[in-house]
Amino acid sequence: MKVLSKAVLGVAMLAASSVSALAIERGGTLVYGRYADSLFLDPVLNDANVDIWILNNLYDTLIEPTDDGQGLRPGLATAWKLAADGMSVTLTLRDGIAFSDGSPITPADVQWSLKRAANPKNGIWNFIVSSIADVTTEGDKTVIIKLKQPDPTILIALTVFNTSIMPMKAFEASPGATDADKAKSFAEHPIGSGPFAMQSWTRGSSMKLVRSEHYWAKGEDGKPLPYLDGIDFELVPDDNTRILKLQSGGLDGAEFIPYSRVAELKADSNLNMILFPSTRLEYVSMNVRPTVDGKDNPLSNEKVRQAMNYAVDKDAMIRVVTHGVGTAPTSFMSATTPLHAGDKPIYPYDLAKAKQLMKDAGFPNGFETDLLILAGNQDESGIGTTLQQMWSQIGIKLDIEQADNPTRTQRYRTANFLMRMGAWTDDIADPNERASYFVYSPNIQALHSGWKSDAADKLFDDSQKEMDPAKRAAMYAQMQQIYNSTGPIVPLYETPYPVALNKKVHGFLQIPLGNNIFASTWIQK
Amino acid sequence: LPLLSYILRRVLQMVPTFVFILVITFVLVRLLPGDPTSAILGDRAIDADVKRINNELGLDQPIPVQFVYFARAVISGNLGDSINLKVPVLALILQRLPVTLMLTAMAGIIALLLAVPLAFVAALNRGEAPDAAVRGVFQIALSMPVFYAGLVLLTVFAARLRWFPVGGYGSNFLDDLYHLILPATTLALSLAAVLMRNLRASIIGVVGADYVDFARAKGLPARVILFRHVLRNALISTVTLFGLSIGSLLGGAVVTETVFAIPGAGRLMIDSIYGRDYPVIQGLTIAIALLVSLAFLATDILHAWLDPRIVR
Repeated sequence: MKVLSKAVLGVAMLAASSVSALAIERGGTLVYGRYADSLFLDPVLNDANVDIWILNNLYDTLIEPTDDGQGLRPGLATAWKLAADGMSVTLTLRDGIAFSDGSPITPADVQWSLKRAANPKNGIWNFIVSSIADVTTEGDKTVIIKLKQPDPTILIALTVFNTSIMPMKAFEASPGATDADKAKSFAEHPIGSGPFAMQSWTRGSSMKLVRSEHYWAKGEDGKPLPYLDGIDFELVPDDNTRILKLQSGGLDGAEFIPYSRVAELKADSNLNMILFPSTRLEYVSMNVRPTVDGKDNPLSNEKVRQAMNYAVDKDAMIRVVTHGVGTAPTSFMSATTPLHAGDKPIYPYDLAKAKQLMKDAGFPNGFETDLLILAGNQDESGIGTTLQQMWSQIGIKLDIEQADNPTRTQRYRTANFLMRMGAWTDDIADPNERASYFVYSPNIQALHSGWKSDAADKLFDDSQKEMDPAKRAAMYAQMQQIYNSTGPIVPLYETPYPVALNKKVHGFLQIPLGNNIFASTWIQK
Repeated sequence: LPLLSYILRRVLQMVPTFVFILVITFVLVRLLPGDPTSAILGDRAIDADVKRINNELGLDQPIPVQFVYFARAVISGNLGDSINLKVPVLALILQRLPVTLMLTAMAGIIALLLAVPLAFVAALNRGEAPDAAVRGVFQIALSMPVFYAGLVLLTVFAARLRWFPVGGYGSNFLDDLYHLILPATTLALSLAAVLMRNLRASIIGVVGADYVDFARAKGLPARVILFRHVLRNALISTVTLFGLSIGSLLGGAVVTETVFAIPGAGRLMIDSIYGRDYPVIQGLTIAIALLVSLAFLATDILHAWLDPRIVR
């Protein structure tokens, strides 16, 4: 599966840059249709994918993820060195780097940005750099990050959006009394060192970016990136309208194509329908506490959970809900998540086994339970009715309850649910984020399920300090084995990011973490 | 003079309505399950973050205390900042509400332009082919869901014929109007159908009335009878209906704005409700309540002018 996913990745990347044999053409503005507008373009204080996934076009990090989202390559820093004791990282900044307003990037900017990102009072992403104890500078090119303890993920953390380097002086000069107030005014007209700079932003309508004259990276022609003069993000929330606009030439690209229309757009000779590999997993998560709301909860029985996993025909689910676009999960960690283990689908459909497990668990006649889905979400209601039918085969009567997002989240957080639909994408090219939410009980009680494995908790704690990559991988293999066989979820399928582009658009990339990379995108005239 | 005191009375009546709306909105959004913190932080929130954000937003205070802060701020003209978008609510409303107003105003005008002449055609040819044709076509318009009608218009007139842009909004006033023609027509269709049916029925009623027979017997020209005697009287119930429809027009704008990708207040309202963005929901409700009240007031004044007996 691992090999397969890499092959898929390779094909998608080939599709994205298939014409690199063609001579690159510079210039032009790309019009890209988004399903939702950004909310808050502060790298540290944002909380949503609509921000995260485009931040890298405005801001830049010290280190960059490779195109497959799994490795490292130089960003604003050209070199980095982890101390032998693992307690510090020394980074060398690139020569001549500047923000989009032309002001130079100094070690002081880096120091200030990293400290702001690590401040536990700032935003919800500070856990990614929680190992940072202090940041110091040396001369005009060197930054030293001192750590509280060895951190195997510190270099990867320096590729994540929240460690973007921001202009300290410009930020501090923004109106506002507190950091949060300054961030509000700064983020309306952000200044970063990414390939593009903000020109204008009309909330709920459009965002115009123009090429930065100060971006450091060079294109294939040896001249500075980006190739484009600019990007117009147009907000077209309705899927049908977005596709119609793309087909009639009003857009050069459109994100979030519904699965039901992927095959149709693949057949459109003017379009390039690309499925970018993602880290997205769709799953049912369960509350496994012995009693919920004063009633006995059969989901607390491990055998029941296994039976429910075996009773789901994933291939049928993938056909019905994703129109064949999805793939069957091989672990709770996506095939594209680093340190993923598992080469065949977990819980292959086996009704006889499921029935036997229900009998062994003491529920030969099944029971009644409840699934919380997002009101108005087509995929989730499709999943709900499919599960209803599949689980009825082992005697389970499934009630489907609809709620809007804040309601569902609140009930989730207060453990006032039996089962709910969930979807996950990683924000960092390391399994520790996903494991901390799914597995590690001290964080959010393993997806608020109440599930707890002392062995898995210990594996997670140890893996957070383990600097030997092979040993760390072994820990993750063990953790996945425990969670996949006894955990509180029913993994349903993995899906890619469906993006449709006009055939004349080349070099666009959406990495598995979701980031939209326009730096090397160009339009054929 | 009686008209003036009538207007004054109606304006004074608006004040308690307004206070009522303020309180109800404030309390209702807080009684909704789910809270802004759940909406912004999502599933990944840990308890410490939830606590911190609730404290930052003042949501850990008792509701009456929150209301006092809110009322005090509203009186001084401050509607607060959006929780999700981090910008002042007033600025958001001033940016988004005019778009929706323009959309609904255009929809209203298009609806009237379609309904009034066709109602006459239908009523004066009652039971004949033109009547059946007009009623048949409007029946289809009435039964078509707004999003579907919008998609059909978009596909035919924008994507195929390229007469109009495929959604989006303009860069200047004239361009805005151009972008709004299709969405306004979409929104107008079902309203036009309702208005046409209502007006047709009242025209039929009025045409048969004694005073119209009398006017005809006096030998007045048909044009004068039609406009001075028939239309003016037939319009009374249609004006009421039109006024009452403004609320539902604003409601229909939500769907239209989504289908046509127009940055209006309807979509802002929906996003804010899903995001439990209390300050925006409150601010928008206040603004829309104010507008609807003014629309009702205008309807009443028009009514009083059409039928002076109402003032007494």
